[in-house]
Amino acid sequence: MPQPWSRIFRHKSEEETLGGFLAKVPIFSSLKNRDLAYLEKLVHVRTYHPQEIVYEQGDPGSGLYIIRSGRVSLFTRDAQDRKEELILLGPGDFFGETTLAAPAARMVSASALENCELIGLFRSDLLATADKHPEIANRILLGLTMVVSERLQAATLELRRLHFESPGSAGDGA
Amino acid sequence: MNLNRSHFLLFYLAMTAAIASGLAIFSSASNITLMLQSAASGLFVPLLLALVTAFLLDPLVGRLEKYYVGRSAAIVVVFLLLTVLLWLTGSWLIAYSQQMWDSLLNDFPRYTSGVITYLQELQAVWQRRLPLLAQYDLTEWVRGAAERFFSFLLLATPKSALRLGSLMLLVPLFSFFFLRDGHTMRRKLVALAPNRYFEMAHDLSYLISCQTAQFVRGRIIEAAIVGLVVMVGLSFTDIRYAPLLGLFAGVTNLIPYIGPLIGMVPGILIALVDLGLGGQFWWIVILYFLIAQVLVDNFILIPVLISRFANLHPVLVILAIVMGGKLYGVLGMIIGVPIASACKIAFVEVRHYRRAFALPETGSDPSS
Repeated sequence: MPQPWSRIFRHKSEEETLGGFLAKVPIFSSLKNRDLAYLEKLVHVRTYHPQEIVYEQGDPGSGLYIIRSGRVSLFTRDAQDRKEELILLGPGDFFGETTLAAPAARMVSASALENCELIGLFRSDLLATADKHPEIANRILLGLTMVVSERLQAATLELRRLHFESPGSAGDGA
Repeated sequence: MNLNRSHFLLFYLAMTAAIASGLAIFSSASNITLMLQSAASGLFVPLLLALVTAFLLDPLVGRLEKYYVGRSAAIVVVFLLLTVLLWLTGSWLIAYSQQMWDSLLNDFPRYTSGVITYLQELQAVWQRRLPLLAQYDLTEWVRGAAERFFSFLLLATPKSALRLGSLMLLVPLFSFFFLRDGHTMRRKLVALAPNRYFEMAHDLSYLISCQTAQFVRGRIIEAAIVGLVVMVGLSFTDIRYAPLLGLFAGVTNLIPYIGPLIGMVPGILIALVDLGLGGQFWWIVILYFLIAQVLVDNFILIPVLISRFANLHPVLVILAIVMGGKLYGVLGMIIGVPIASACKIAFVEVRHYRRAFALPETGSDPSS
């Protein structure tokens, strides 16, 4: 096909479209194809420069971010304002999901390590959806609950492991 | 460095050019602002009415959208239904209101002369008691004001009919676009915020727009119900113009504290002149004060419809009315208070938001 025609009739592959990308995020795994078009209009696409802060520990949190491209570092600051990196996240990962349903302050800070494209989904968008399309909001919340409970389970197992491994705790475990 | 005449000439020319261009820029800037101001002057009222219409119709459109009707289609359906409704009632309503308006214009001199007679008696009494006030002629002042108002009514009626025509064209057009694109406009505006503040701006804009929409809807529904109660209550008596008086009471009810008092003046005056000080007169007074204001508005409507923190301090209400009146006349008086309330809603939401997230320092000693 000559060049101009192929450009006009070129279809974006499913991975390239925002909906195709979002469909692979675990939180949105229960959404149907029809819902993805709505979700595309619901989320906010933001670009970040290297070292730009996404949010700081203690900031009001109101939603989650999904990394479409680039890498993001989650870290905490101690009393002397020293950074302690907790985890590095890459494309397809998401963070901040605990504040999507319930308003809370951010427990950690997040900053972009390189040029990043983040996709934000916030509580107010979810509330508006719950009003207009309750079934879509239900599916998103179900996915969110699934992810949060998996992480809670993993955290419980980790805590238990740490508890038994720490010296002197095996005897007085409750 | 030796400066010769050509240097001075150059300096002089450069300074002249700078001053001239500065003046030109200043005058054109003020000209442009003036031009923009005069171009937009007629748009304030239709834009505002369209915004209120959009707030009122939004829940209906949202309900249709739940059935996967596209937003534009849902708006068109709502507009079509409204047009049909207006078409069905319009032919009856227009003839009825025209007839009522004509007879009110005929009756107006009779009512003013009745009021002036009462005032003359009253004035004679207080001038006898307080000779100090003898030089103040309240009756003459009222007569002059009434005459000016009447001639204004006669002149303004055809003019306002013309304006009504342009409003009927512009308001549906603007409200259609507010309904269809309002959400996108808000999103685009919030998207301009820097990344660091985007989340907060997005959250606050949602909270504020929800509260404002609820407040505007609540106020309009409250005014409509109060107007209806007054109209129904008045139609039990022999008073004329019950629908017009109900409409007036409803519209003035939009202004807190002062509005209801202004709203009951024409009703009570007409009752006084037409019905005299009998049982019907006292029923009308009770209707305005106790039933419409205290019982229906204060005990039922305000607690149900209006959020507690949209209430303004009386001083703020008076300031809003005076300032609104200075800017946009009678209309400014009506809309000044809702705009001040919207500002207060924004302020309170920001404060709530900050307080909700004011956590103890995370870096400090956990035992404290």
